[in-house]
Amino acid sequence: MSMRSQVYEWSNLAPGGAGSTLVRSGADLPCTVNANVSTDIFIGGIGNNITKPAETTATQFIVIEDIACTPAIAGAVQVRINTTDYFQNPDVTQMNGVPGLASPYPRGVPSSVLGGNAGAAVNLGGVTVAPDNLLKSFDLYPDIYVLPGQVFQILYATPQGTGAGAGGAVAGNCRVVSAFLKYTLYDGPDALIANKLLELGVTINPNNIDWYKRSLIEQQTRSAVSAAAAQTNGGVQ
Amino acid sequence: MSMRSQVYAWNGSNFNPALATAAVNAYSGGTAATPGNNLTGQQVSIFIGGFGNNITKPAETTATEFVVIEDIACTPTLNASGGAATNNPVIAAAANLNPLPANALATGQLAGWQLFNNTTAALGVVFVNQNIGVFGPRMYVQVRINTTDYFLNPDNVTNSGIPGTASPYPRSLDFQPSFNLYPDVYVLPGQVWDVRVTSFCLGVNWGKEPLAAVAPSVTFGNGSDFNAFCKYTLYDGPDALIANKLLEMGISINPGNVDWYKRSLLSAQGM
Repeated sequence: MSMRSQVYEWSNLAPGGAGSTLVRSGADLPCTVNANVSTDIFIGGIGNNITKPAETTATQFIVIEDIACTPAIAGAVQVRINTTDYFQNPDVTQMNGVPGLASPYPRGVPSSVLGGNAGAAVNLGGVTVAPDNLLKSFDLYPDIYVLPGQVFQILYATPQGTGAGAGGAVAGNCRVVSAFLKYTLYDGPDALIANKLLELGVTINPNNIDWYKRSLIEQQTRSAVSAAAAQTNGGVQ
Repeated sequence: MSMRSQVYAWNGSNFNPALATAAVNAYSGGTAATPGNNLTGQQVSIFIGGFGNNITKPAETTATEFVVIEDIACTPTLNASGGAATNNPVIAAAANLNPLPANALATGQLAGWQLFNNTTAALGVVFVNQNIGVFGPRMYVQVRINTTDYFLNPDNVTNSGIPGTASPYPRSLDFQPSFNLYPDVYVLPGQVWDVRVTSFCLGVNWGKEPLAAVAPSVTFGNGSDFNAFCKYTLYDGPDALIANKLLEMGISINPGNVDWYKRSLLSAQGM
């Protein structure tokens, strides 16, 4: 299994509604997400996190194929490779990244799901739901490559922020938000081939990795046939 | 029929709501004191997990079979705000009011989900922290080959798998897939494989009243949607041998390529 499709999902949910957790649980509550602060979805200290920064080893190659986030509260996701942000403004200044409205998670989600009687959209059984099903306007193509030895981050940011859900009755302004990452992990020999394809300027995807493998096999077969033929000819002479 | 498209659909809430609580709990892992989903955070096999519909033995391939898993999916989850859980049963009880119903989502495939924002155990655990702000079971699905989990976090630690929100079952206008299982997952001859689901939801109670003393007239809709789905192709006999050959050659295994290999063999024989 040296080519594996992987996903990572982050939400601002942690036990007690504060801090981060390595393991999800049924007692998770919404955590505070401050406005205008970029939060690393891997080790940002909010919601579900992992044990160490996301990085590739010397024998790994990652291709990021999709990023998305909750469209509510103007959330956006950014990709950072080492210290470089991938998405930038036309004037080469910093931005929050791809808006959730352009790349919603989940796809088809209403642009806003509010509680109680808040909001002025369609009231369906006491829960107010914006009458839309958002589809993606953004497609991450070309993909983003994380080369062996690089550190990468996915940063979630919102200009509005949201409150926490801990302690007594939950405030209506607390909101659960999520971010989503889809990538393919190439490991071992397939990571070497991915590097080779990169050198050749060929797009790295499972099809092209398989194509390169087939080329190697065909090349070896031809070489073996040629060697056998040469030996035969040599024997005649 | 040596190449066969197969599906396996699992429903963790395949109960009869008219059953007695004990019978419901037998499905859900609950007890009389805490009816509902006591399997929170536990990975459950959809084949032999003892929960929902099951099969007779672990899923495995024989020496003449080759399985290609092409899609996995499960029930999605919808994020909301804390305000979606407006009824605090503690406050309601103090005011001598019926604490139920809380707001229920009334749109899409999760219609009927109710949330409670009680953070104390004053009125019984079934009301505590019922996944505040989240409609749905927070469900994930993982593939395991022999003893190895397929999906990992970026720190190479195994995780719960693909979120149903990314790969929803069933698909609808409200929930469309963000995830596509490509490359496919191959189960080689002789391997044991499993599809395992995990939910992080205390509020799944399979349509039964949580506690008659507290909520005498209420039936939850939560848990009526608790599904998992697996789509795979089974190659058997000669086609399994060809699948192995394609694997050696680094060619994707799908019915088109298996047919292509057969045609190549026929061409080589002058047919």
